[in-house]
Amino acid sequence: MSITETRVSGPPAASASSAGSPNSLTRPPRDLQRTFQLALATAWLLDAVLQLQPFMFTPGPNGFSGMLRGLASGNPGWIAHTISWNASIVHHHPVSTNAAFALIQFLIGFGIVSTRTLKPALALSIVWSLAVWWFGEGLGHVFSGGATPFGGGPGGVLFYALLAILLWPRACSDQPFVAARTVGVKRAKAIWVAVWALSALLSVVGSGRSPRALHQLVAGMNRGEPGWLTRIDLSSGSFFLHHGTTAAIVLAVVCLIVAAGVFLPPHFTQATVILAVVMFAVIWVAVQNFGGILAGGATDPNAGPLVIVLALMYWPLTNDRATVSDVASDPALVAREV
Amino acid sequence: MATTPLWLYYLFGVLALVVVAYSVVLLMSSVATRRPLGWDVDISHLFMGLSMAGMFVTRWAFGARTVWELIFSVLLIWFLARSIQSMHRWGFHLSHFLIHAVMSFTMLLMYRFPLSAPIGAMSASAKGSRLDPGFSFVLAFVLFASAIFTLASPNKGASRHGTHAPAYATGGTAGLRAATSHSGEQITSVMSIENLLAAPRLEDASHVVMCVAMGFLLILML
Repeated sequence: MSITETRVSGPPAASASSAGSPNSLTRPPRDLQRTFQLALATAWLLDAVLQLQPFMFTPGPNGFSGMLRGLASGNPGWIAHTISWNASIVHHHPVSTNAAFALIQFLIGFGIVSTRTLKPALALSIVWSLAVWWFGEGLGHVFSGGATPFGGGPGGVLFYALLAILLWPRACSDQPFVAARTVGVKRAKAIWVAVWALSALLSVVGSGRSPRALHQLVAGMNRGEPGWLTRIDLSSGSFFLHHGTTAAIVLAVVCLIVAAGVFLPPHFTQATVILAVVMFAVIWVAVQNFGGILAGGATDPNAGPLVIVLALMYWPLTNDRATVSDVASDPALVAREV
Repeated sequence: MATTPLWLYYLFGVLALVVVAYSVVLLMSSVATRRPLGWDVDISHLFMGLSMAGMFVTRWAFGARTVWELIFSVLLIWFLARSIQSMHRWGFHLSHFLIHAVMSFTMLLMYRFPLSAPIGAMSASAKGSRLDPGFSFVLAFVLFASAIFTLASPNKGASRHGTHAPAYATGGTAGLRAATSHSGEQITSVMSIENLLAAPRLEDASHVVMCVAMGFLLILML
């Protein structure tokens, strides 16, 4: 796995290369921060289209407003009241509210694509993510003690906001990893440690370490899922029922190892990033069920893919890659190279 | 009971038909200027737009299912062959033809696994032989990624001219003009109109509309 790979999607362009086949063309390496921004834009576009599903326009307890209302339980009274208030508005105006929600997400997704609207789109992404975390995810069940990372805690949509902050455009790029480009190495490492330490904590507090709660987490997801995913759910549900506490403790330990990984030499950091990616890929499939998208009615893919994107942003870059990002982001330098 | 507003489906249907109209104009101007660049993509957009408009608005549907399956099978084979040809010529890369092959394949799947309920109640009541939701999701995600990365591509108009026109790929619209400059003076005025119509951003926009509309249909099939 090499992050310095230069052969990427899209048309070959810019410069002829003497290497490879006589006809082969090469292009300047892709600006990785831009690539991650576009990955975030793709996630927002997916969310926007998910918002257009029939379920979202359905009023009543079996629709989107009913789902929102259900998120109020377990939260402190005044927070629950705000969530119920929002659910009530969606209940009375399902078409206009959902159309507006989808439009906002389309604006964020396509706004990130254009460099002229990138900053406003990222700013809107942060604001909208926090609003959705509050009103649409019930603050990720943090106050009810059910915010285990197995289920996407502390809230999948929070990672959209975090990615928007870390992907805020900045010209300076001679950093050891992409996430450090905007906030600097020290702050980026502090964010990494905070994210993984919080995940470790949430794994073992509240119902996060309860075998029955973890089993219910999976059992509650598999309605309407395709057969192959239901079979995976049965296995993971059974595993949680018998080894739920152990699984929670192992997850916490792995999170702490990943948190420490960013302070280790590059090869060890790479190993911990791979560990994080593999772990959350497994959790995304076997526990989060792709955010419930395959069953219909999901609003987003949950935390799994966002955590994976976050982890990849901490992948140590080679010196060549770190300096070439500057070149790739500067049209004048690209022209000179060509 | 699903209560998706009908105007949403009409909106996507109309957008698909706008792309159809745009593709017809591009094809006509290609014939007028005797410049065949990108005609296969225009033809595929034409058929996909017509087909999807009929999927969004049932009243607009026409043609036998077998005919549509045949059309998209031919397009799939064509774009796969062009992808292989492009890779053979330029080395390993993700040719833009490949996404058109994926789109043709997706259209074929949507005919092979028809929805048993009218649109608007699709996701709730599609039963029996249906496309695996995991596969639908992967295809939808690929289409959304294609829409975003095409829009952000520095080589505008990649959907039509992409990797198979190195002059265009390396020089953008200037490359296109250079590639067409030998067509003769009598068609200069037609070319200027054609260049206006074939504005790379318009071409990218039509690709984005196709990707988003197709992705939406796949999401409705979940």
